[in-house]
Amino acid sequence: MASGRDVRDMLGLPMGVDAQKSAVQKRAKAAAPVRRIQGVAREVAALYGERPPPVAVYEEKKAYRAKRQNQGPAKKWVQQPFVNQARVDGLILKHWRRKPTIAPPVQDGEDAPMEEGDNVEPYIENSGDFLKYSIQVDLPTFTDEEYDAYLRSDDWSREETDYLFEVVKDYSYRWAVIWDRYDYQPANKSHLTQETVNGDASQALATLPFAPPKQRTVEDLKARFYHISAKLMKLRIPEMQMDAEQYTLYETLSKFNPELEGNRKLLAAALMNRSMDEVKEEEFLLAELQRINMAANRLDAEREELRARLEHPSANQQVSAGLASFTSSQALQALFSQLFAQDRSKKRASGGATGPSRISLNTNDLIQTPSSANAQLSAAARRQSMATNQSAQTPVRTLSPQQEYRYNVSTHDRLTSGVTFGSDKLLKMRQAKSNVQTQKIAAALAELGVSEVISLPTIKVAEVFEQLIGKVGKLLDVRKVREKEEGESRVLEQMKQRRSSEVQNGDASMSNGTSVEPQAKHEVPDSQEQTPGLDGEGEADDDDNDNDGDGDAHGDGDGEVDADAEGEEDDEDAEGEEDSRVPSETLSRAASTAHKRSASVLSQGSIQSSKRARK
Amino acid sequence: MNTLNSSTAPAAGEYAGDEVSAIVLDPGYSTIRAGFAGEDVPKSVCPSFYGQIEDSSQYLFGENAIHTPASNLQIKNYWGSDGIVEDWDTAAKVWEYAITSRLTGARAGDPARNGLNDDPKQENGEATDVDMETIENQEKPLEESPLLMTEPGWNPTKAREKAIEIAMEEWGTPAFYLQKTGVLAAFASGKASGIIIDVGASHTSVTPVLDGMVLKKGVQKSPLAGNFVSNQIRLGFKQSQPEIPLTPHYLVKSKTPVDAGSPAQAIYKTFSVPPTDSFRHYQEERVLTEYKESVVEIWPGPGRLSNGTNEEIAKSMPGRPFEMPDGWNQVFGVDRFRAAEGLFDASAALTDDANPRPKDEHTLPRLVQAAVQHVDADQRPLLLQNIVVTGGSTLLYKFGDRLNYEINAIYPSTRNKLIAPGPVVERKYAAWIGGSILASLGSFHQLWISRKEYEEHGANIVEKRCR
Ligand SMILES: Nc1ncnc2c1ncn2[C@@H]1O[C@H](COP(=O)(O)OP(=O)(O)OP(=O)(O)O)[C@@H](O)[C@H]1O
Ligand SMILES: [Mg+2]
Repeated sequence: MASGRDVRDMLGLPMGVDAQKSAVQKRAKAAAPVRRIQGVAREVAALYGERPPPVAVYEEKKAYRAKRQNQGPAKKWVQQPFVNQARVDGLILKHWRRKPTIAPPVQDGEDAPMEEGDNVEPYIENSGDFLKYSIQVDLPTFTDEEYDAYLRSDDWSREETDYLFEVVKDYSYRWAVIWDRYDYQPANKSHLTQETVNGDASQALATLPFAPPKQRTVEDLKARFYHISAKLMKLRIPEMQMDAEQYTLYETLSKFNPELEGNRKLLAAALMNRSMDEVKEEEFLLAELQRINMAANRLDAEREELRARLEHPSANQQVSAGLASFTSSQALQALFSQLFAQDRSKKRASGGATGPSRISLNTNDLIQTPSSANAQLSAAARRQSMATNQSAQTPVRTLSPQQEYRYNVSTHDRLTSGVTFGSDKLLKMRQAKSNVQTQKIAAALAELGVSEVISLPTIKVAEVFEQLIGKVGKLLDVRKVREKEEGESRVLEQMKQRRSSEVQNGDASMSNGTSVEPQAKHEVPDSQEQTPGLDGEGEADDDDNDNDGDGDAHGDGDGEVDADAEGEEDDEDAEGEEDSRVPSETLSRAASTAHKRSASVLSQGSIQSSKRARK
Repeated sequence: MNTLNSSTAPAAGEYAGDEVSAIVLDPGYSTIRAGFAGEDVPKSVCPSFYGQIEDSSQYLFGENAIHTPASNLQIKNYWGSDGIVEDWDTAAKVWEYAITSRLTGARAGDPARNGLNDDPKQENGEATDVDMETIENQEKPLEESPLLMTEPGWNPTKAREKAIEIAMEEWGTPAFYLQKTGVLAAFASGKASGIIIDVGASHTSVTPVLDGMVLKKGVQKSPLAGNFVSNQIRLGFKQSQPEIPLTPHYLVKSKTPVDAGSPAQAIYKTFSVPPTDSFRHYQEERVLTEYKESVVEIWPGPGRLSNGTNEEIAKSMPGRPFEMPDGWNQVFGVDRFRAAEGLFDASAALTDDANPRPKDEHTLPRLVQAAVQHVDADQRPLLLQNIVVTGGSTLLYKFGDRLNYEINAIYPSTRNKLIAPGPVVERKYAAWIGGSILASLGSFHQLWISRKEYEEHGANIVEKRCR
């Protein structure tokens, strides 16, 4: 039943602490099992069944009652007449108030000043208790001149505008209610007769607009009202003098777009009026979308992993990959210094003439980036700190690659301090993280015929060796993956065989085609890669490496390998080929034969197993 | 816009009502509820039906007077069919009776003679007697108390003006206010906004209310309510094989128990001048209400009763027994579901020549849909979160379940919440209770239309003040 909580709710006031408490209590009550009606025999109560009794049954509770406090004689109460300050008509109503026994000190409050004695003329209390709930709304006002000067509208007559303001005031800006009650009758008959009693009718008629009353939407009403409000606001307070709050209000008022609002409402209504099927469909689609997204993420992650295993960072990839590769600040810095150096050398060549020959960079440009400061500094201190400053190694004279090669000049990103032997570097490369891996690499190198100690560890040899090691590492990785895949495919193969033997030979031809299905279920994302062969993945990787090996010795026509590589033309193949061409001829011949051999040796197992799998 | 500060909790006592012994009057087709504001149930609930001895101006008011069979006693109701008062003269009399019989009573006179200090044994009985004399003796029955009256959402201006005229001129009330039943029912549930579904006796109404104001464009009404259900039951009785006899209480002198379905063995009363048809009809109605209360059930969903196998399921549910006043009894099976199905599914209503098929747009789901359709799109979800269910006929068993199902079927994408108070009293008297809350609020005092204002502006002031 109605309580203070309901009242609060009605008036839109926050629930107090006690309200929350009572809510909790209520919930507890509701959760309790079916309430037993007291004072009624159980048998009788059972007759009600699950329905509420048609007659209200009131329980006579033996609840706790506060002891009556008996202090002195009974207090007297009177029906106190009072006027409400919020009313203008002086309506006198009566409410019950304690009758003061002694003359109370004068205080503000409802029952404060009280005449002594009963027979004095009845005191009428002046109650202002609820004055605070008498709230008037603020409305912008305008004069006739203002209206004529700024607020005229083709769509709205002055009368209707006034009516709008009146309704807004009556319903305190509750637009839904305003729209509901908005009923402007321009040629209201009763209105007319009242008005034309003293004026002559024809004149009244002439001034009345004869357009039929328009069906205005909430947006129309709002637009008109906001428009006027904004205009008036601007008139009263020039835009420049508005404070932040006023300005945001002004902004919202002047930016109101009825069409947009209308469309939004249409969409909202459409959203609400969807049928059950549509709602279900949306739910289904959303679930599906989530599923797809998750699968895509998983697929991406797996691909990423695979790529990480296959890819090896090539030394000069960055330069060849164009601008996109200059992502790190270091790379950018290197580029800057490089360009700067070019610029400078050009300048020197053209005798200090700037302007058209300038390549694109000057110091001002460099200032933009944090590294530019560094670059400037380095430019200044170039001569002194060539060894320590990493970007300061700009040679006085640029050498062409041929010259560099010829004089064996090299440039380095960073120089480690001290002197190192090239052979140490080569040794270090042989070491992998794990011992097993190191042994494997060593075995692979031994097989290739690369001796433990390389007699002439020049930089180029080191480079080629590094690439070789990289490839060996890749190869080993791939082999590991391949072995795993093979194991899996073997298991599946056995499963398939067992199943097909169960199914009988009758539809054995069919089972070939359908056998992929159980597998596909296991690894949905992989299915595409698997289409060429059952263990396509491992195979493809093998081919990749085979081709690497073949790259230089193409003419040899490695029948076995080629037969396997049918139709496998990856980017990686091409890249690999290019990579393998880069090394100088010194090692290439030895390496190529070794490669070939190793490739065939390594792929032997796979070929056999894949052939097995194909049968 | 200045509003109250919503971040500080109100001090204790801030909402304590300021009662001015106002009287709340909630007239309905079946009963008139009247009582003092601030109380939680109406003290006076008296039937809107009244008796009139044919060809005389003698009226009988009150529960006790109109159930005694008397010759030439016509039972009438002052309401028109669509929830608007038709017979204003009698309406004023019945209302006055409802107020004076239990609330104001005779004027406080000398305590030694006013009866209050008499022997308590003699004191009873006075209240319910139809004592026109005492009523007439008092000049103005409401001179002490402001009056808050309820009205349906579609009450025309004429009726509203008439109401204030009666209150001011005939009853002499110092202050008056008219409020819509929908708003008050919402208040009774502690809501200022919501959709109020009121299924009474003569009509069903669906009223969207926003911040305590009725959205007039959205108000929907239909004649499918308690009386419609009663008629459906009558039809069902008539159409069943064999026909089910409907014998009101007053015809039965004594009865002997019989087996289910076998003819009644009762001794009937005889009257030299049989009571009028209207009397019999009204008495039958009481039996039907009893039947409604104890037997009729609404198919709770999902789907309608006629959908798929629902009827089969309903058939397989255990029946409910009912015994007529003359001892005839039976267990009612699937038939009990049919009586009220018409409220939700017009095609399922029983029909005959006098009772045509109800209109589809008068069924509850369609009413709710139409009401929501007429509300600003932004407010719709808010309203659907507060669907207040009130009116005596919503007490039909499983009514809430079915309504919930139907509304969720129409608006599957919003959060729809039914607020259906459990206690019978709150369901039946929600509008009165809301009025009781409203009229006892101190902040309401400034809304009263005072006698002075009425005299200044005339009856039309209700249009301006009671929006
Ligand atoms: N427990 C009940 N189960 C079913 N119907 C009931 C129950 N109690 C009352 N009714 C029905 O409810 C109706 C009365 O409801 P209510 O008092 O809300 O109507 P009203 O306000 O007098 O009428 P109206 O709103 O149409 O003017 C009657 O038709 C009565 O048969
Ligand atoms: Mg009602």
